[in-house]
Amino acid sequence: MATRIDIDPARGLGWGTFLSGFVPGLLQLRLGQTNLALFAFASCTALFFAGWSMVHERLFYWVLLDAGTPAGGGSSIVRTLAQFGLPTVLPELMNLPANALGALLSWDASPTGERLWRMPRDGEHVGGFLTAASGMLAMFWSAAGHWELRRRRDGGKAPPKPIADPALCAALSWLVPGLGHARAGQKDKGIVMGLSVAFVFALGLFFSHGHACDRATYSVWWMAQNLFGGGSLFAALVTGPWQMESAPEHLQLGVVLCTVAGLMNLVVMVDAFTVAERSAFPVKPAVEDVS
Amino acid sequence: MSLLFRLAVMLIVLFPIAVVVVGQKHTNARDTLRAAVQRTGRWALWLVALVLTMEVLGVVFIGW
Repeated sequence: MATRIDIDPARGLGWGTFLSGFVPGLLQLRLGQTNLALFAFASCTALFFAGWSMVHERLFYWVLLDAGTPAGGGSSIVRTLAQFGLPTVLPELMNLPANALGALLSWDASPTGERLWRMPRDGEHVGGFLTAASGMLAMFWSAAGHWELRRRRDGGKAPPKPIADPALCAALSWLVPGLGHARAGQKDKGIVMGLSVAFVFALGLFFSHGHACDRATYSVWWMAQNLFGGGSLFAALVTGPWQMESAPEHLQLGVVLCTVAGLMNLVVMVDAFTVAERSAFPVKPAVEDVS
Repeated sequence: MSLLFRLAVMLIVLFPIAVVVVGQKHTNARDTLRAAVQRTGRWALWLVALVLTMEVLGVVFIGW
């Protein structure tokens, strides 16, 4: 285990590395991991187009910024960027090439095209989850690349090996909160944290009669809800397609609780990454401990 | 939604949030849960103070 107190763990890897992370596999290519780079690119692209084949231009309806015509209240700048998939469709934006290609293939500037954004599609819950999952997967590949670059930079001639791959721990926690901690050697803490996230998410679904986590209706809230991938997958497969005859009394409370659960899981993911990371690069001892 | 119902939901949700927040500083479940109980208690006190302040402001500016 390496303990190098001359390393500043907060030192970044630069803008070039950061921006490279938006193209799945590019960091692995820089690292000389050609096969892994190809696999990263192929897995993210395949996942995106598996979902895109169901939703097509419906993705434009889920953007954070309105890509509609200026006459309809949209911005002309956003509209120009929209055809390249650049307005914030989170988390698809993390998978920049596939998202841009999908946008170019489905962009239609006519009023009919804009009307199609609003038209519900068969299987759009699953399709929306898959395109989002491609963005999350791209982010985890990017995290893996960043980790390996940092390990080589700070590890000296014999880079230390972590107890588990930090990016993998974060990805596991995205699907099942706490699983990343278990992989990194903190099983009981992982169970407690995971149950906490799952409980708040389940409470949200309970109060909303299952309608709180629905990308088609609450697309902006869903961006944060999707940070708990296992929960949003469950909602996409089970509760999302349910018909809502009338709005449940505590629908808004449910939406907020599911969103809070997603944000809680962001903390869990980051912590799982950190636990694995610190197994290779322990935190620098406090000054008084050194003496 | 009654104030009592909102407070009950808030208190129920505070604990899991506290678990996730304090969990970052601990390595096992026992320490995490112990710290989360303390943190929930502290947050609950702040919550009560905040609600009382808002209620007083409501009475002052809106009336009983």
